[in-house]
Amino acid sequence: MITRRMGFVEASRRVFDLSLGEMLWSRRTIFMALVVGGPVLLAIIVRVIESFGMSALRVDGQRVGGFGVFGVMIWMLFLRFIVPVLGVFYGTALMADEVEDKTITYLFTRPISRGSVLVGKYLAYLACTFLVVLPSVMIVYFLLVPFSQVPSTFGNLLVDLGLLALGLAVYGGVFAFVGAFFKRPLVIGLVFAFGWEQVTLAIPGSLKQFTIAFYMTGLVPHAMPSDGVTSVLQGMFRENPAAWVCLAWLFAYLGGFLYLATRVVERKEYILEQ
Amino acid sequence: MSNRKTRYFVAIMGTVLAVGLGTGLVASYMGLPVSVFSSAAGPDELQYVPADAAVVAYANVRDVMNSHLRQRFKSLEPSQDSRNEFEEKTGLDLEQDVDSVVAAVMPKDGMANNPAGSFLILARARYQASRLEALALEHGAQVTEYQGKRLITHADPDLNDPTPDNMALGFLEADLVGFGSIESVKAAIDARASNRNIVSNNDMMKLVNEIENANAWAVGKFDAIASKAGIPAEIASAMPAISWFSAAGHINGGVSGTFKAEAKDEATAKNLRDLMGGFLAMAKMQAGNKPGMQQLADSLAISGDGNTVALSFAISSEMIDLLEAVAKGRQGQIRQ
Repeated sequence: MITRRMGFVEASRRVFDLSLGEMLWSRRTIFMALVVGGPVLLAIIVRVIESFGMSALRVDGQRVGGFGVFGVMIWMLFLRFIVPVLGVFYGTALMADEVEDKTITYLFTRPISRGSVLVGKYLAYLACTFLVVLPSVMIVYFLLVPFSQVPSTFGNLLVDLGLLALGLAVYGGVFAFVGAFFKRPLVIGLVFAFGWEQVTLAIPGSLKQFTIAFYMTGLVPHAMPSDGVTSVLQGMFRENPAAWVCLAWLFAYLGGFLYLATRVVERKEYILEQ
Repeated sequence: MSNRKTRYFVAIMGTVLAVGLGTGLVASYMGLPVSVFSSAAGPDELQYVPADAAVVAYANVRDVMNSHLRQRFKSLEPSQDSRNEFEEKTGLDLEQDVDSVVAAVMPKDGMANNPAGSFLILARARYQASRLEALALEHGAQVTEYQGKRLITHADPDLNDPTPDNMALGFLEADLVGFGSIESVKAAIDARASNRNIVSNNDMMKLVNEIENANAWAVGKFDAIASKAGIPAEIASAMPAISWFSAAGHINGGVSGTFKAEAKDEATAKNLRDLMGGFLAMAKMQAGNKPGMQQLADSLAISGDGNTVALSFAISSEMIDLLEAVAKGRQGQIRQ
């Protein structure tokens, strides 16, 4: 019997369908729930403290309002930690897990293009992380910001949500390539996200242009908090490229690395260790 | 999504996101009154402030009177005689009976010549209406009614005055009086009755709602006041183009406060920030190593981005101790 080869879009959709459930109910989701539940728990604690008339956060003796605390959480927890860490753990695992579990052979023997496997899995990663991270941000926002301040701050929340979605997409794309190309993708991913990116942002020069964080921070609508020596240095050498420049580079990274990742998957011979 | 568990998860998370986005969009773009789900939309007295008010100010008199700072400087206050005389006549103890005061300015043509005609003061206090009425009648005032509220009116005796100060005191609620020109007090009663008051002015209420932890504050539309206040053209042209401003302070053991202004454009805001930064640097230089003044200058901070400029300060009770010691030291030197 001759099986007809499935189209790229239909094949990606099928892989997405299969991978979303697998991703959502894997052990990695427990880690994601803990990572994303942290800010929600913190927001509840801040809310309780504020309800007793105390201030949860003070800067130079001045009380920081609900939206200010939300801005700090977006910077410190979501942009600096949650988005890169989810990108690293999920992005690098898209292909690496199949190789490690020795199930990649079954996928590659299906009558679908190899690239569609990666694209389907990448879309499942996007759906999975968007569905967990964005509602969490929404809950944190409504816990921290008094309803009376919603009209004046809601525009910033939309920018934050868009930025986090773009961040997840770009980091996911970059680490999908890392996962497809390198043998120890998790280590390389962690070094890139928490070594290279942090260091280059804190030193003067144009090296920071080879990071994702540089363009992400250029789009954040909140003021950058100073929480330590690294932040102070990063703040000192911070440049603010125009929004369109940031967006153009982020989309270029996304498209470029996703293309490279599919090319690698199409061409690479994965040797399964016995 | 063949798995039922996955479908449920996607539906629940999607709903959380959709409800949040929907609520925010409705609140932001469809004019949902900000007070719907919030008790923090300013004091209840705002319902008597006409919607065209350009400046609104509030002071929690009770909080300020009970503050550690006020208790500390109580001994420095002038003699009680004049206060006792006022209390005897009106039955109102300013220290014990007044809870809060709201003041509003409704800019009108000719405001520069007759500022009293544009003001409205709302005071929440425990007062004796009959005693106040009797006192007013003794001094030639008249008692009338407007929309079921009792008004004590006093006509300006100067009949040749083109802008007469016809003032009124209205008993708006059992513990709330309105004071101002007759037009202002009537406008306050109408504002409450028709529900067309400052609470429905979203631009103003955004500023009110941004104020947190303050027992005295003021917000306003700067250009509306500047255009009616009769400021000479030379000065007006040199003034920075500010559209909105807000000032908030908290008095307890120390004093902290923030002044925020929204400029017409980013360039003006940047110039203002630079100018204030220059003044701040000069103040820090002047303070030198004088302990009290140096700490005071250090507590000043300029912030803001885009169109906004903000200046905040915090004077702690320790800093007041220091300033008090410096002042006492100086007094001692003068006496010697």
